[in-house]
Amino acid sequence: MRRYVQTPGPIGQFSELSLRQRAGPLDLVYVAYGLLVVAVVVASYLLGAFGWLPHDPQAMDIGLINAAPFTSGHPLGTDFLGRDLQARLILGIQAYFLPGLLAITISVVGGSVLGILAGYRGGWFDTIITYFDNLLDSFPRLVLILLVIAAFKADIYYVMVVVGITGMPVIANLIAGKIAFLRQKSFIEAAHALGLPAHTVILKHILWLNCRALLVIQATLGMAEAILVETSLSYLGFGVQEPTPSWGNMVQAGANYFLQGNFWPSTAPALAILATILGFQLLGDGLNNLLEGKRRK
Amino acid sequence: MKRILGITVLSLGVAMAWCFPAHAAPKGDGRPDGGVLNYSEYGRPATLDPITSNETISLRITELVFNGLVGIDEKQEIVPELAERWEASKDGRVFTFFLRKDVKWHPREGEAPRPFTADDVVFTYNIMMHPKTITPLKVRYEFIEKVEKTGDYTVVITLKRPILNALAKFSFKIIPKHGPANPQYLTREDRFAHSPIGTGPYMLQTVTGDGEVVMVANPDYFKGRAHIDKFIARPFADQNIMAQALMFNAIDMIVLVNPRNLPEVQGDKRFVLQPYNALSYSFFGYNVRNPLLADRRVRQAITVAVNRQEMLDSFFNGQGTVISGPFAPGSWAYNLDVKPLPFNTERARALLTEAGFRPGADGIMEKDGKKLALSLKVPIEKESEAVKRVVLAFQNYLKNAGIAITVEFKEWQAWKEDVFLEHNFDIMFASWVFDDSADISSLFHSAEIGDWKNNFGGYSNPEVDGLIVESKLTLDHEKRRTINRKLHAILAEEQPYTFLWTLTNYSAYHRKLRRVQIHPYKFFSFADEWFIPASEQK
Amino acid sequence: MKFAAIKPVSRVLARELAVTALLLLGVSVVVFAILYLAPGDPLNVLLEGQSPRSQLALGMREALGVPQTWYGQYAAWFGKMLQGNFGNSIRTGLPVLPELARVGVYTLTLTLGSLALTLLIAVPIAVHAAAHGGTTGNTAATLAAYVLSAVPVFWFGYIVVYVFIHQFGMFPLISGTAAKQEHAWLYFLVPIFVLGIASGTLSEMIRHLREELSRVLAEDYIRTARAKGAPVWRHAFKEGFLIPVTEIMSAKIPFLLGGAVIVEQVFNWPGMGRMAWQAAQDRDFPVIMGIALVAAAFVRLGNLLQRVVFTAVNPRASKE
Repeated sequence: MRRYVQTPGPIGQFSELSLRQRAGPLDLVYVAYGLLVVAVVVASYLLGAFGWLPHDPQAMDIGLINAAPFTSGHPLGTDFLGRDLQARLILGIQAYFLPGLLAITISVVGGSVLGILAGYRGGWFDTIITYFDNLLDSFPRLVLILLVIAAFKADIYYVMVVVGITGMPVIANLIAGKIAFLRQKSFIEAAHALGLPAHTVILKHILWLNCRALLVIQATLGMAEAILVETSLSYLGFGVQEPTPSWGNMVQAGANYFLQGNFWPSTAPALAILATILGFQLLGDGLNNLLEGKRRK
Repeated sequence: MKRILGITVLSLGVAMAWCFPAHAAPKGDGRPDGGVLNYSEYGRPATLDPITSNETISLRITELVFNGLVGIDEKQEIVPELAERWEASKDGRVFTFFLRKDVKWHPREGEAPRPFTADDVVFTYNIMMHPKTITPLKVRYEFIEKVEKTGDYTVVITLKRPILNALAKFSFKIIPKHGPANPQYLTREDRFAHSPIGTGPYMLQTVTGDGEVVMVANPDYFKGRAHIDKFIARPFADQNIMAQALMFNAIDMIVLVNPRNLPEVQGDKRFVLQPYNALSYSFFGYNVRNPLLADRRVRQAITVAVNRQEMLDSFFNGQGTVISGPFAPGSWAYNLDVKPLPFNTERARALLTEAGFRPGADGIMEKDGKKLALSLKVPIEKESEAVKRVVLAFQNYLKNAGIAITVEFKEWQAWKEDVFLEHNFDIMFASWVFDDSADISSLFHSAEIGDWKNNFGGYSNPEVDGLIVESKLTLDHEKRRTINRKLHAILAEEQPYTFLWTLTNYSAYHRKLRRVQIHPYKFFSFADEWFIPASEQK
Repeated sequence: MKFAAIKPVSRVLARELAVTALLLLGVSVVVFAILYLAPGDPLNVLLEGQSPRSQLALGMREALGVPQTWYGQYAAWFGKMLQGNFGNSIRTGLPVLPELARVGVYTLTLTLGSLALTLLIAVPIAVHAAAHGGTTGNTAATLAAYVLSAVPVFWFGYIVVYVFIHQFGMFPLISGTAAKQEHAWLYFLVPIFVLGIASGTLSEMIRHLREELSRVLAEDYIRTARAKGAPVWRHAFKEGFLIPVTEIMSAKIPFLLGGAVIVEQVFNWPGMGRMAWQAAQDRDFPVIMGIALVAAAFVRLGNLLQRVVFTAVNPRASKE
């Protein structure tokens, strides 16, 4: 059965023409921008984790509410409680960074296991895993998350487990596809013929040598997803709660003043979301074009 | 949507029995009939009948559709409604109501309107008290022993014990015997809960696909047909959008304007901002089961560490009053001689020192190696940044006084379970809404400690218990006032809550609406008198 | 060829229907399992103000006829569902299914409308890029699509509302009065526009279509056709266009349904998303279960249609 997967995968039926198109100079720009974003995010995460912030993110100045950028002492202005926006933007990364990594880990590990079972073992496994994939794909993610929130509680880690699990099918599909491709080239048969044990073939030859690029790309795209989900939930009021800053709850709080013409308090975090999601997506797609494209040449 | 945290207990001045002349169908007061009023609600009503509903949106709708035996006029006095007069026995235990004979239930489609009789009153009481009916009213009417019909238009209500101002409590809405499909008990599944019929000035016409509740004037209303043809309640999911909807005339009235939108509406000549005093106040409630909070000095320290006036000024444009005690301000029971404890961080620290706390290395006060760190649980209301501001500022003030607060926002239902059932909290934030004046017996009496009971903090003080009981048993108004003043003073000293403030509520409406009187709690009690001049009806 | 296609199509259809049914069964198990594992008692919603530990609660439970074992509960629930009884909302007491049907129409309008809009934007860009390679114009358009896809949809919604209010003096929200006003159609189009632009699907759609189309254009039979001077587009249409479009449409339905939850909130759109939000707040289990099931059914239906188109266009697929 032919499956649609989220990214143009390495399924390997592309002709040279599209290959040439895909690894253009633009991809380098994508990747460069993406790496820059990753660097900024990681650096900011560390700043936040160690508390090296330009300003106390919780300190309130009730006399200075919703200040504009470039107010003295607050280069990016203040929020609805007179708290420093710059410090809160930096600290806001904590809200999705570790939970996002958790989600990525779940989808990468789970997806790999399922993909290998489906592609390597095949047979009934393939059928069951295809069924499982389709099952997970049937739920709109946000609806599934709301269901989990209603049943359990609005905790970001619960949410990210759901994000991780729903991210598994894509990776499983990609890996199964890759294995099918390798089989086509008698790669796996060759490895077996050499007398290599199954786990070496799977871990080293399949996952490490042939799928690592794919996994890195998916992990990058997964982070974009995690940020999107965290911010959406915070907008709906189910995400990270005050006083802990998250970009989502900052947009939501600031949005209360938006229609009165006070754009900045919600626009600043919204731009941060935009720039970051864009960065992770471009990085993922750029890497995909470069790495997966080159390999087949 | 505002949820009711409900002590909604009526107690009003004693009213005399008198007769009320019957009206003809049109009001005949020379004011024009016609026009439509669109008003906005933040959220949708769950049910539309007066028994199962438990939020303010439904409450406002039932006020338009139903009547009680007695009503309340603009001067907060009790007036006849479905009962045209009544008699009370000398011991105050037996009330005989003589019902109006000219009242008709709203007709169901294709049916003739049926008359209202004593059977309906008995029926309403019985269905309300049925164990399978789930209603917040049950607790409020446990003082009634029985309701009997002695004639087609006579009802006798016997109380378990005489209570003060019992009459005011008979304003509960009467529903028709032929209304609910199930004559035994009322559930939310019953058709009646969604398409009710009543006796009130407006009849429910339809609930549209997008959740608008359309009500039309009842031509046979016994006080005369209401002037405005149609009331439409429109649900909104976002309060900012709601204010814009008013600006664009998509709606004519906002029942309660969010403080942040006040300046916008104020500057616009097309609208009237009408303040009304809601009998409600906000507070931080303490769980005295926590040994740290069992010490009165700690609770006092928290209160004086918080600058309530500053919060009121910055977050609510100063639209309200800081309060000192447990009664709704504006009620006769409120003791104006007790002043709110003034903001004083030094005093807070001194009180904590007195209670045996010393500053720890991180600036947080400690006692016997135990940090003064407390959890604060707050219900999530998506857009209420006012609530967020208050609790976060509270946290900030207390940090300055050496008290660490962890704020935890929870979904409404989970929050209620934590506070009222599991008692798993140190401090909670909420508001009480009183339906009229004050009865605080359920808040601080030690008998009210338990699952889903209102003394969630487990506050227990024999002196307070004694005064509450005494106040309940006293039938003399002056004496009762004295007792309540004393109660107020004690609770202000004890600080089982940090009493915050009562806010001035504003309703905003288009100028075309005239003669708008607003009931502080039920809102639409006088809506049948509102009108729109013919030239502005469109 | 047409005749030959009929048999495989019906066979594939039967198989796909069976798969869909099986998947929906699985969906119901997942939904049930989540709620079965939920801590706390959903009955608390009903018992507000009364002790859930009392006799009364037991009475309630009995009255509601809740079986004790999990499989008993599942069987009872599933059996009722087959009869079209999804239970009653705890909050409003209204039966869930008719309510869902009522609001589902709004959500369907919103999602399908925005899907159409996304296609309307994505297709020309993709086709142009596939046919002409990376010109400056379509590169810029692709980049713009990337940026738009990363915009947080709620913030974008607020911008649109602001612009309409302050620049056009219009109030772009649907409500009863709006329907009777001038430009009423606009009030419906604005949320569709917002979801269509900023749901995060635009860039993916462009990329997928472009790649599929350029792959097909590069295939031998197209090259042959081109060499013969035959119209290339006729040949490329089915495989290079119809199939990828239906594929991506069916794959994007769940994303749009998720996005609808947010857009409905901003635009006061009376659909399933708002209902889901309310239900999550109130722990109104029957409603949120119903929404999850109906949403999954939407997704499966979209998928089924895609399979049908795929098989009809490409009879070889039935042998796969």
